[in-house]
Amino acid sequence: MTSRRIIRTLPLAALAAASALVLAGCTPAAESPEASGDPVTGGTLVYASGDGEPSCLDPHVGGNYPQALIAGQFLESLVSLDDSGEVIPWLATEWTASDDGLTWDFTLRDDVSFTDGTPLNAEAVKVNVEHLKDPDTQSSTGYLALGKVDSVEVVSDTVARFHLSAPDSALLESLTQPWNAIESPAGIARGMEENCLAPIGTGPFIVDEWVPQDHVSLVRNDDYDTGPADRAHDGAAYLDGIEWRFIPDSASRYAALQAGEVDIIDNAQPDTLDQAAKSGTLVEIDAPRPGASNRIELNSGQAPFDDVRVREAFIRAADVNDGIDALFFGTAERSFSVLSSVEPLAYSDETLFATDLDEANALLDEAGWTERDADGIRSKDGVPLTVRFPVSTNQSIPAEQSLFEQIQATAKEAGFDVQLEPLDLSGWYGALFTHEYEAVSAPYTKVGPDVLRILYHSDSITPAPSGYFANLAQLDDPELDALLTEAASESDPDARAALYEQAQQIILGGFYALPLYDQQNHFLHSPKLQGVRAMPTVSTPTFADAWLAD
Amino acid sequence: MLWAVATLTFFAVHLVPGDPAQAILGGPGSQASQEALDQVRADYGLDRPLAVQYLAMLGRLASGDLGDSYALKTPVADLIAGQLLGTLTLALLALVVAWVLAIGLALWSTSAGRIGRAIAAGIELTAAALPHFWLATVLIAVFSTSLGWLPPVANDQPSGLVLPVLTLAVPLAGFLAQLMREQMLDALEQPFTTSALARGETAAGIRLRHALRHAALPAVNLSGWAIGYLISGAVVVETIFARPGLGRTLLRATELRDVPVVIGVVLVVALVYVAMTVLTDLVSRAIDPRIALEERA
Amino acid sequence: MSDLELSNRAVRGRALPRPPRAGTVAALAFVAFLAVATVAPWLLQTADPLAIAPREAFEPPSAAHWFGTDESGRDVYSRVIEGTATSLLIGVSATAIGLALGLLLGGLAGLGGRVLDFVVGRVNEVLFAFPGILLALLIIVLWGPGPVTATIAVGLSTAPGYARIIRGELVTVRSSGYVEAARVLGHGRARVLARHILPNALAPMVVLATLGIGQAVVWASALSYLGLGAQPPAPEWGAMLSAGRTYITTAWWLTVFPGLMIVLTTITTTVLGRALAARDGARR
Repeated sequence: MTSRRIIRTLPLAALAAASALVLAGCTPAAESPEASGDPVTGGTLVYASGDGEPSCLDPHVGGNYPQALIAGQFLESLVSLDDSGEVIPWLATEWTASDDGLTWDFTLRDDVSFTDGTPLNAEAVKVNVEHLKDPDTQSSTGYLALGKVDSVEVVSDTVARFHLSAPDSALLESLTQPWNAIESPAGIARGMEENCLAPIGTGPFIVDEWVPQDHVSLVRNDDYDTGPADRAHDGAAYLDGIEWRFIPDSASRYAALQAGEVDIIDNAQPDTLDQAAKSGTLVEIDAPRPGASNRIELNSGQAPFDDVRVREAFIRAADVNDGIDALFFGTAERSFSVLSSVEPLAYSDETLFATDLDEANALLDEAGWTERDADGIRSKDGVPLTVRFPVSTNQSIPAEQSLFEQIQATAKEAGFDVQLEPLDLSGWYGALFTHEYEAVSAPYTKVGPDVLRILYHSDSITPAPSGYFANLAQLDDPELDALLTEAASESDPDARAALYEQAQQIILGGFYALPLYDQQNHFLHSPKLQGVRAMPTVSTPTFADAWLAD
Repeated sequence: MLWAVATLTFFAVHLVPGDPAQAILGGPGSQASQEALDQVRADYGLDRPLAVQYLAMLGRLASGDLGDSYALKTPVADLIAGQLLGTLTLALLALVVAWVLAIGLALWSTSAGRIGRAIAAGIELTAAALPHFWLATVLIAVFSTSLGWLPPVANDQPSGLVLPVLTLAVPLAGFLAQLMREQMLDALEQPFTTSALARGETAAGIRLRHALRHAALPAVNLSGWAIGYLISGAVVVETIFARPGLGRTLLRATELRDVPVVIGVVLVVALVYVAMTVLTDLVSRAIDPRIALEERA
Repeated sequence: MSDLELSNRAVRGRALPRPPRAGTVAALAFVAFLAVATVAPWLLQTADPLAIAPREAFEPPSAAHWFGTDESGRDVYSRVIEGTATSLLIGVSATAIGLALGLLLGGLAGLGGRVLDFVVGRVNEVLFAFPGILLALLIIVLWGPGPVTATIAVGLSTAPGYARIIRGELVTVRSSGYVEAARVLGHGRARVLARHILPNALAPMVVLATLGIGQAVVWASALSYLGLGAQPPAPEWGAMLSAGRTYITTAWWLTVFPGLMIVLTTITTTVLGRALAARDGARR
C-alpha cells in the first residue's frame, strides 16, 4: 500500500484548536482478484480473529481494536472518511461549526431506524454521547475522543448540537471511530450486561448470539440502506450472516483458512503471507493502521539514556534492516519516522538511522562508558550499561519479538547489555509504571499528527490515575512542547505541517526513538470472498458489500 | 474436600500483589479514576475485612454462587456451565479412545512375538512422551494441511472433534497400554490361564475374557487421574483447535487475572475429579468383587 | 502428575520387566550425550548458539547447519545443545521440588501416627484435585509467569503423587519382618528409623526421580507454549518449540528437532528408570 496525501477540508475554525485525537484516513489495498462476476446473494461468511475475544461487544465500554473489528459490522458512525481522507456523510448528512468552533450542528438522516425499531434521531445521539461520558460505562478510547464535548442539545428531531469546551479540530475524525459509533438508546437502557452481549445499531448486520470462547453470530439486517457515502452498493448486505470466530493460535488460524473452514483471517503472520503470495491461492489485504509507527522508545528520563550520546550509540548499534527483511518476508517496510507512512505529515530522516558500530563505540567512549567486562559489556563507575526492555507478548507478534532478540545481539557488540523481558499485559504495565525500563515498544492506536502531542508532550509524562503514561520516551523539552501546542491550534495547513515537521525533527534528531515499521495489519482471505474492503478510518474490514462467489 | 479447595484457593489468591479493583476495570492500562476504583471496591465488597470476605464467599458457594467475573461482569457459574460440557465431552471421548487404543495395543503386543513386543513398547514410550501441542501441530500438518481429510479447527460436525480427541488420547493411551500390557502378561502366567487352556479355551478367548479383565483394573483406578490429566491437556488443545471450553476459559482468566473465574474453574474441576474417583471406585468393584470382600474382612 | 501408577509399580519392582539390554545401552549412550551437552556444550556445538545472521534465516538442514537455521539465522543444532542445560535444569529442579515436598508429606503420613496420616491424607487428596496445568496456572496467576514459576508449578503438582508412593513405602517397610526383628532386638526407635526404615523406603526415590524428570520437561514445555514458561531467546527446548510452531508451515525443522529432543529425553529417562527399578526389584 502506498501512502498518499490526505486533503483535509475542515472548517478553518475547527483547525484553530488543540485536538484530542485525529484519525488519519487509510486506503485499503484490497487488490480484488479479477473482481469477477456479479455479486451473489446469500451464504454465511466465516471470519477468524486472532485478536483477543472482547469482554464486551459494545465498543463504548473500554474501546480496543478487537472491539472495533467486530463493531464495524453492526454499528455505524455519524461520519466517515473516504479513500482520500476527506470526511464524508454517514448517519449525519451534513454538519456546520460556529465561528468560534464551540458549537457544531449535525443534521441526521431522517429515514433510519435501529434494528430494534427505535428511530435514529437527535435524542439518540445525545444519549450515546452521555453514555460515553458516563463513568459507569468505563469508556476509555471513545471517552478520550470526546474530551472536549460538554453536552449535546436536541435542536430538532434531526439536528443534534454539540457544545464544546474548546475548539476541537479532531472532532469529525473522532466521530468516524467505531468506538464512538451510535447505538440504540433502548439498547443502552437495558444496562451494561445485556448491551455488552448484543449492542443494537443501524449497521448491515445484527448480533444474533455470542457463544463465549467460540464465536459471535451476526445475521443480515434486511432493512439496511445506510452506509457511508462511499459505499459500493445500496440496500442490505449480500451475505446472509457472519460467523465471527476466535482462533488464537496463528498456525491453526492459517490452517483453517487453507482448509476452507474459514473465509478470512486477521493477524496473518509474515511467513504465511509470503507463502500465500507465492501459491496465489489466497488474497491479502494490507491495511497498516494509521497514526504512530511501531518504534522503540528510549527512556530519556533516567540513566543511561538521559545522555543523547548513549541514545545515539544504541540506535547506531542496533542493526534491524536485515532482520526486518528476513523476519517479515518483505511484508513490512522499514520506517524512519515516528508516524505511520499513511500519515501525510509524517517526516522521515533515513540518515539518522544508519548503522555504524564504530560510531557507536566512539560515542560510548566519549560518554565515559569505557570499562568493558569479559563479555564485552561496558560499564561506567562500576555501573554496567544495562538496557531493560520489557516486551508485551500480547502486543508483539513472534517476528517482532525475534527482531528484538536481534537488536539485543547487535547492540551487545557495542557493549550494551539488553535484557529482554517477555511479560504479559499486567506485568508489562507494571514495569512501565515503576519506570523499570530503558527501552520499550508500545503501539499507539489513537492516531493523527496530534498523536505526537500525546506521545511526546511533557504533560504525558504525568501518569493517569491508573498509572499509565503515553510519553514513554519521557521526552521533556519545552521547545517541543511549545511546537506541539502551537501546531494543534494552527489553522493554516502549511504552517501546521511545518510545525509538525519541526517537532518531528526534534524527536528524531534527539534519538528518542528507533522507528521500525508501520503498525502491521494484514488480512488473508479466500478468493471466493469478494467486495471486501478495509475502512479508511481505522483499517477494519467491512462486509457490507462483500459476497461469497460460487 | 471442596471446602478445603475453596479455602486454599481463596487465601492463595489474596496473597497476590495487585488490586482486584484495577483488574475489574480492565487492568492497569485502563484509565480508571480513583472514584471508579472506590465504587468498584464497594460494589464487590473488596473494602471489607478479609475474614468477612471469606465468610461471604463460603456463604455464596454453599448456595452454588461462584461470584461474578471481573472481566466479563457475568456470573462465573453461568460462564462455567456454558463451557463445562465441551470440555467434558472432549475429555471423556479422549478417555474412551485412549482406552480403545491401549486395549488394542496391549492385545496385539501380548499375542505378538518378541519383536512385536519391542515395537509395542517403543510405540507406548514414544506416545507417552509426546507433548500435546507438538502432537497437535503434527496432526494438523498431516491430516489437515497435507491430506485435507480433517478440519484443523473445531466445528459443529463430529469430524472437528477427531484431531483434538486424538491429540489428548494418544499420550494417555501410551501410559495405559504400558500398564495393561504388563498386567496381561502377568495374568497369562497365572494358573487360571493354564486351567482355562486345559478346559479347551482358545488363547485369544483367554486374553479377552480373563487377562483383559485382570489388566483393566489398575487402568480403571487411574481414570480419576486421567481425567485430571486430560483437563490439563485441554488447556493446550482447546487453544490450538479453537474449541470453547474450560481450558480456554481458565487460560484467558489467568491472563486477565480474573480471580473469581480461576477459582470457579478449579472448584468445578475438583468436583469432576471427586465424582470420577467415586465412579472408578464403583467400576473397580464391579470388575473385581474381591475389593469389596477385602474391605469387609 | 504423570504416570503415577507406573512409577508406583516400578518402585515396587513388580510387573514391569527390565527393558531390553539394547534399549538400556542406547539410553545410557544418550544420557552420556546429554551430560556432555550440559557440562561442556561447546564440545558438541558447530556454531555460536546466540550468533544471529538475519541473511541466513530459515535455511533448511544442510551440511553446514545440521538442524537448519532459525528465524534469526541461528544454528538450530547448536541451540538445541545449548538448551540441554536449561531444559534439564527445569526438569531436575521441578522433580526435586516435587520429591522434597512428597518426602515431607509422605514422611509425615507414614511415620507420624494415625492423626497425622489422616490429616496429610486429606491434604494430599485436596492437592490431587488440582490437576497439573490447572495448579500451574493458579500459581502463575499468583506469582506471574516465568521459568522459575513454571518450574515450581510443575514441581508442586507432582508432589502429591510422590507423597502417596512414599507413604506406601514407609508403611510397607515399617511393618516388614526385618524392622519387626530389629524392634524385638531392642533397638531404639530412632535407630530403627535411621538404620532400617529410611534407607529401605528411600532407595526407590532414585527410580522415581529418573521417571519424573522426563515428564517434568514435557509439562514445562507445555507452559512455555502457553507463553507462561521460559521465553526466547533462551534456547530452552520448550521455548524453541513454541517459537518454531509459528513457522510450522514454512520451516518444519524449527519444530521437529527440539520436539525430538524432548521426546528422546523422556523415553531415555523412562527406560533408565525402569532398568533401575528392575535391578532394584531383583535385588530384593
